[in-house]
Amino acid sequence: MSERRATEQGPLEDSVVSLNRGLWTGAFLAGLVAVVVGGVLARYLAVNVPEWTADGGAAELGAAVEYPVYAIAIGLLLNAVLALTGVRDRIAVGFRTEFFIKTGLVVLGATVLLSVIVRAAGPAILQGLLLITGVFAFTWWFAGKLGLDDKLRALLASAVSICGVSAAIAAAGAVRAKREQLAYTASLVILFALPSIFVLPWLADLLGLSPSVTGAWLGGNIDTTAAVTAAGSIAGEEPLQIASIVKLTQNALIGFVAVGLTAWFAFKVERSSEGAPKAIELWHRFPKFVLGFLAASVLATVYAEQASAANLEQFESTIKVFRDSFLTLAFVSIGLEFKVTSLREAGWRPVGVFAAATLVNIGLALALASILFAGFTL
Amino acid sequence: MSEPITPPSADVDDARRFALSEDWLATIAGLAVVALAAAGVITADWIPL
Repeated sequence: MSERRATEQGPLEDSVVSLNRGLWTGAFLAGLVAVVVGGVLARYLAVNVPEWTADGGAAELGAAVEYPVYAIAIGLLLNAVLALTGVRDRIAVGFRTEFFIKTGLVVLGATVLLSVIVRAAGPAILQGLLLITGVFAFTWWFAGKLGLDDKLRALLASAVSICGVSAAIAAAGAVRAKREQLAYTASLVILFALPSIFVLPWLADLLGLSPSVTGAWLGGNIDTTAAVTAAGSIAGEEPLQIASIVKLTQNALIGFVAVGLTAWFAFKVERSSEGAPKAIELWHRFPKFVLGFLAASVLATVYAEQASAANLEQFESTIKVFRDSFLTLAFVSIGLEFKVTSLREAGWRPVGVFAAATLVNIGLALALASILFAGFTL
Repeated sequence: MSEPITPPSADVDDARRFALSEDWLATIAGLAVVALAAAGVITADWIPL
């Protein structure tokens, strides 16, 4: 009977499956509506607050606050309201930060000339390799000193050194981490990314960094891609372009780290007999939206050569509006996804590791960006 | 009687698979926006705010 139940489904099971599917779809749509409502509100405030404050004492502040600030603040506010009403966890499946940020980044590719990507690729790859190696090694070592589990060490080191939540997911697949370890690492990434979105652009301004060095620094040290884009948007158009190129380079390196971790855990930690990972794994783990970013840049560069001035102007304004809309939805989702409960359960040691690794990341990225992107202009 | 055959616990693998399919979806959606904007089918007015 057990085998029949496991391999076939009767009418009752079919009903349960379709009910579950219906509930999932409803939850997904409800979550999506929450994100879109937050996004519309954020855009409304970003457009109107400068006008409302234009004649008063807060004119400078009103004009200076960029749309990512409104989007994240509204996301956090909605998060609190939905959590209080007990709805948040049930509709969280609709908070698709990764989808919105990746789509926004592909569209953003159309605002970056191919020649800029080609010129920035060399320093971006070198910075990525040095940063990932240095920060990963430090985090792995320090987490070991504090006695953390090897799988959690791998997740924390990947998240802080490569690209936040996406890297943690890839690493979790590679080392077969527990679900709670992944949830915990993702919460840590967002906890540290949120203040960096606002503090680091301000610090870059205070330090008098050039737009390119600012972009390379933000792209190199802020963990998660969405937060890099938010900080870049606050810092300006040029820092945003360089930050995106640098971060996408790190994203592209994720496959190598995931394959390396798979092999390391198979041979050294768990000594399993599954053998070495196949080369195709590199392709499986490669973030495909990086190709979309490049393709969009190629498309826009070719289009710019052929289009009339009026058509080009319309194209550029359309791309920017759609790019900002997708990014706004991503920033609202970041605020909605933030959750502190899993952090409480894991104790202070992983937080200490992540904090120390973040400081090392900030310092090393600043040094590398200042050297590799000195004198770089768009 | 053997035990029920249940799929292996693969929360993380499922998360990875979904993230990757979402990856392709985002790539296609983003490129579609760029192509439609280049063709003049969609314009900035489509987003009212």
